[in-house]
Amino acid sequence: MRELCDHAVAAALGAGASYADARVVVRRSQVVGTRNQRVERLDDAETEGIGVRVLVNGAWGFACDRRLTSDGAGAAAGKACAFAKATPSGHARELAPLEPVEGVFRTPVERDPFEVSLADKIELCLRAEAALAHEDVKVTSASVRAQGEHKVFVSSEGAATEHELVECGGGIDALAARDGVAQIRSYPSAHGGSSSQAGWEYVESLGLEREAPRVGEQAAALLQAAPCPSQVTTVVIDAEQTALQVHESVGHPTELDRVYGTEAAYAGTSFLKPEDLGSLPYGSEHMNVTADSTTPGGLGTFGFDDEGVPAGREPIVAEGVLSGFLTSRETAATIGSGSGGSMRADTWSRMPLVRMTNLHLEPGEGSLDELIGGVDSGVFLQTNKSWSIDDKRLNFQFGTQIAWEIEDGRLGRMLRDATYTGQTPVFWGSLDGVAGSEEWVLHGLTNCGKGQPGQHAHVSHGASPARFRDVQVGFKQ
Amino acid sequence: MSEALELAGRLLRVTEGDGALALVLSERSGLARFARSEVHQPTLIENDVLELQIVRDGRLGVASSNRTDGEGMRALAARAAEAANSAPADPDFPGLAPPADPPEVEGFDEQTAALSADDQARLAAAAIDASELDLYGFFTSGVTELALASTTGVSVSQTMTDASVLALAAVDGASGYAEQTSWRLGGIDPAGASTQAVEKAKHTRGAATLEPGSYPAVLEPAAFAELLAYFAYDAFGALGLLEERSYAHGRLGEKVFDERFSLADDSLDPRGLPKAFDFEGTPKQRAELVENGVFTGVVWDRTTARRAGNGRQSTGHAPPSSLRHWGPLPFGLSVAGGEADSPQELAELIGDGIYITRLHYLSIVDAREGVITGMTRDGTFRVRSGKIAEPLVNLRFTVSVPELLAELPGLTREQVLLNQSAYYDERYPQGMLSPAVATARFDVTGVGSGPGV
Repeated sequence: MRELCDHAVAAALGAGASYADARVVVRRSQVVGTRNQRVERLDDAETEGIGVRVLVNGAWGFACDRRLTSDGAGAAAGKACAFAKATPSGHARELAPLEPVEGVFRTPVERDPFEVSLADKIELCLRAEAALAHEDVKVTSASVRAQGEHKVFVSSEGAATEHELVECGGGIDALAARDGVAQIRSYPSAHGGSSSQAGWEYVESLGLEREAPRVGEQAAALLQAAPCPSQVTTVVIDAEQTALQVHESVGHPTELDRVYGTEAAYAGTSFLKPEDLGSLPYGSEHMNVTADSTTPGGLGTFGFDDEGVPAGREPIVAEGVLSGFLTSRETAATIGSGSGGSMRADTWSRMPLVRMTNLHLEPGEGSLDELIGGVDSGVFLQTNKSWSIDDKRLNFQFGTQIAWEIEDGRLGRMLRDATYTGQTPVFWGSLDGVAGSEEWVLHGLTNCGKGQPGQHAHVSHGASPARFRDVQVGFKQ
Repeated sequence: MSEALELAGRLLRVTEGDGALALVLSERSGLARFARSEVHQPTLIENDVLELQIVRDGRLGVASSNRTDGEGMRALAARAAEAANSAPADPDFPGLAPPADPPEVEGFDEQTAALSADDQARLAAAAIDASELDLYGFFTSGVTELALASTTGVSVSQTMTDASVLALAAVDGASGYAEQTSWRLGGIDPAGASTQAVEKAKHTRGAATLEPGSYPAVLEPAAFAELLAYFAYDAFGALGLLEERSYAHGRLGEKVFDERFSLADDSLDPRGLPKAFDFEGTPKQRAELVENGVFTGVVWDRTTARRAGNGRQSTGHAPPSSLRHWGPLPFGLSVAGGEADSPQELAELIGDGIYITRLHYLSIVDAREGVITGMTRDGTFRVRSGKIAEPLVNLRFTVSVPELLAELPGLTREQVLLNQSAYYDERYPQGMLSPAVATARFDVTGVGSGPGV
């Protein structure tokens, strides 16, 4: 693989590139999914290829080839250069300086997920599903996933890195329906569960079968629950939904490529401006957000990003003030700050983009019970159900699967169809408490979309439950 | 025989089992993505994905790979066999599809297939050069071939072309949007799309806010198609119906929409992105979903048809394996046109309301009732006295799609093909034919940022 990358880079330089990098990726991914006690998905996918990115006269070019041969590497390099030459740039393109490094990163794994038989994975899903059963639950589903990736990167500046990454994950869902009402509950997260960069031990730690009875019962109980009333009130948000709030309203707007407009046509831009760095009040003093590509178990953890920049930990929001952006070498050079470190590509056939790695809301103090105890009247919101935010990442609306009234510091009746909405800096400005590290949970999601052609990123967010005052809550005003 | 079908046949020959289906999806594409009137992410892709489904004693295993050599194929067959051996038998498994002659469809254009990277760059430049404002978006074209061969005698392939231009003309405080898609290069005009986006953008400066509430609205085809797609994937698929969780449950045969609203899934229509067969090899059929406001049907694949019983047959809507958990999907929706000559005429019909060009970041709030939230962007206007009036900021909406469809004062006569693919994973052209629509009810629940970048 190293030789193919070297060959591609040399071919690109020979074809006129001033800079070139090449990535070989060999990936295997497995998904086992069951639904109503039937095997719904039993997929075992492998993909491999080489992607070559070049700069020619200030213009980027990217091409790929599935063939892991010198012919494939050379063809990708030649086509990348030809495409770059066909789209000339009117200016020079600067990259933040980088000391070329060579290094290897491997996910620490206790149990190789591909050594676990498919039969065992199916059995786990079926057992967890069976434990979801309730007379009002119409659809039960369970899934587990595993992914292994071997990646080699070489740049014309001398960087040469190698990764062997392993991911695992799983989740369960119960959908209850009666009299025209349908409600869903999920564990440990909605939308396919949660994943971690780890071995099969992560799936075992989730306790899908153990948690299933509660999930099924709550789905059924939601059929009897009252709709969440519309009101401006205090909300306490569980760690999972807080993680998604961080993802959508902090992660994406601090991607510096969005700030510079290169995602405008699809994912959108950002309400942030480059000059906001170091001064913009993003939230209250309780708000501390960190980008950390070294977090153990994080889906965004690596040794080096897809430009060869070493992993690191950087503050993004410190005590409520914007303190950093997620950058590539190019955007870091443009803003004159940082050195990149957030460039990631979905796979061998995609060009790297500025992506979140692991973005965490740092823990505060105390417990979830103490956060709730500090609320005279409010709502506790748990587990994401719907999510939407505008193209500048200002106006958002999230829905959760379940909610409870809070009265005099205690949880009251269950509520369904809860949503909350706000404007990003106003909302984060109303943050008045984050639970402590004992409540801090790392959530891994695999469906972050961006780019054209589209790319999925796998990212993690650590968060504790958090409390926000004066939030618009309600369903379909 | 096409190269992809030959590959599928080779894969089938290295396979052991009671039955097997070999599928090959090949892509040759280029996408010149631009921002601030400069190409910044040009991507050329060539790939061949081989998928093998093996059946053993009623148990189904699936594996895929993009290795096309003999060793790669044998390894793929071994993994698919292991999957089949590991699976419990499925009493609802309908078996592999029998052979059937797919319908003759259009959807391949030599000129589009022949486009090189230089051509793709030139066509992106044509859009950029036609814009007097900064332009964001892309030009893309591709050739996709889907081939299936099975032990039951299925042996089909289809080569498809597609080309799209997306143009967002934008500066600080103003933005306008246009898109064009066709399977023929001659069906799109990058410079024309760019000009249309610029003209829209010019009218969005000085956007005003709007009080939340329910408003009559005109939705341009791009906006309506995106909203309808989010509703349709659940509401018009058989799986949600069988599981009693979708809007269709208990409503088939009822008049639940305005009588002006008729909807079909029609992948045979040459004005769309035609398909001859689905991912099980079943020939595509036109499926009537709504006729004059009456909810008449959903789309089926072999698995859901078997589960439904009563002689139900697949309509040719099996999705790729990776989307099987969604059940059969309507990838070729077509909304019947109405009588209005233009969206401006629809504005006259609603008199006072709002005008929407494009939507952003939709999410399903309540699948059973078809409640969807999202934002408008890149061309939202007030309608006053039947005329498109002052620009508005981006609006947060939370709408019940069935309620939105319950009263439609009018639809335009012309149906526009809207690209429904964001090119994640493997390329497979998808589009919807939709007119612009006037609705009596569009629920605005908040306001967001203004137009522009």
